[in-house]
Amino acid sequence: MSSYAEFLEEKKKIDELYEKGYTITAVREDLSGAYLTFERSKLDLNDIEEKIELHILTADTRKYFSNLIIAQQKELI
Amino acid sequence: MADLRVNFAGIKAPNPFWLASAPPTNSGYQVQRAFEAGWGGAVWKTLGEPILNVSSRFAGTHFNGQRVVGFNNIELITDRPLEVNLQEIYETKKKFPNHAVIASLMVEPKQEKWHEIVKKVQDVGVDGFELNFGCPHGMAERGMGSASGQVPELVEKQTYWAKEAAKVPVIVKLTPNITDITATAYAAVQGGADAVSMINTINSLAGVDIDTWKTIPNVAGKGAHGGYCGPAVKPIALNMVAECARNPEINVPISGMGGVSTWKDAVEFMLMGAGSIQVCTAAMHHGFSIVEDMVDGLNNYLDDKGIESVAGLIGQSVEKYSDWGHLDLNYKVVARINNDVCINCNKCHIACEDTSHQCIDMLTSENGNAYLEVREEDCVGCNLCSIVCPVDGAISMVEIPNGEPMTWNQRQEAIKLPICNS
Repeated sequence: MSSYAEFLEEKKKIDELYEKGYTITAVREDLSGAYLTFERSKLDLNDIEEKIELHILTADTRKYFSNLIIAQQKELI
Repeated sequence: MADLRVNFAGIKAPNPFWLASAPPTNSGYQVQRAFEAGWGGAVWKTLGEPILNVSSRFAGTHFNGQRVVGFNNIELITDRPLEVNLQEIYETKKKFPNHAVIASLMVEPKQEKWHEIVKKVQDVGVDGFELNFGCPHGMAERGMGSASGQVPELVEKQTYWAKEAAKVPVIVKLTPNITDITATAYAAVQGGADAVSMINTINSLAGVDIDTWKTIPNVAGKGAHGGYCGPAVKPIALNMVAECARNPEINVPISGMGGVSTWKDAVEFMLMGAGSIQVCTAAMHHGFSIVEDMVDGLNNYLDDKGIESVAGLIGQSVEKYSDWGHLDLNYKVVARINNDVCINCNKCHIACEDTSHQCIDMLTSENGNAYLEVREEDCVGCNLCSIVCPVDGAISMVEIPNGEPMTWNQRQEAIKLPICNS
């Protein structure tokens, strides 16, 4: 698979979580890549999966989520 | 006609092109001929206690038919008595009062030695001194040249001693044989240097003869490391000039040298902060007359740019040189192949496929013609294909809009925990 295709797959997962109202709340990086923690506020009592972790492998996706975090932080200011 | 005159740390010259301290400035005969040819200044071959030289001193590095891409030498400082040099410096300065004559000096790291030579030399009317803390061979084994120049404390002390006796500007010439040249440049400034110059030559062994197994050059079958210069060292020199120029603590003029062969090279050094340019290898390769092209080229360039004087050029690119952490990670360029120009040699495909990011496809059109195409989404913009391409205009690197800038430093700051949840 081309690295661009790998990026698109990872980007899709992130975008889907954002669409569901999640945002990135923590980033941990090590030799294996980046681990993103996504959280969202409970919408109703049936919501149980409040915290999700994604393992990001590609460099382009690491750039992508970094841009999202910066945009997220700009919105908060 | 632009004004090419320079005032470098108080040293005035009709143009910024100076011969570096080296074999071309060994004698009054040579320096006077150089001035007649158009050189604006000369740094006299290093004065010190007369040495003994070996026979077989230089070696050229040739590559792919291009002669002297690099040049190696094991010649030492002047081998003539000080008085002989001083007489010739006096005569030269008298004949060419408006040209810059700078004396390169090298003595043992002792205060009285520096005082003695500075006083003796300035009496004949030199415009400035250049302290040789860079020569990497021979003299370094005796504690001088780069042996002193690699120790910031010695650079500072010796600069201070020279300044104690000097009535004319003191330039400190630095060795590139050190990890961080700003450390010794800063030491020179601390010692009171009026300017710094760089780079001296780089430790080198030009080659080994694979038939005789002797070094190149060899002296009766034996070799010793020499100093490397010429076009091959230009990128190293340019970086060192730029690193010093962008360091606010090195707030003195810089005389740039190292592989300058054309006026274009000189412009690059000036844009990166050099206030004067020193040349050696190109003059040794082609003769003193190369300065005519340098002067004409610089003049035309300044006229074309609408810049009135050399001063308008110096340091203009320094702010564009930074640390990697300040570069924009979102900036994107991709390769594009112009198939009207491409000769289908496939060098780009091979380079990309074997050693880069595998994004150039070899395809066949409907009418059976082979062509190359970049998968732009997979291209990282490394430039390799355009570097190896033998045809001008066949591959362009094209800028792709890619959002707001984001540097590594900004990114690292942004992903620090905890990240606020909206």
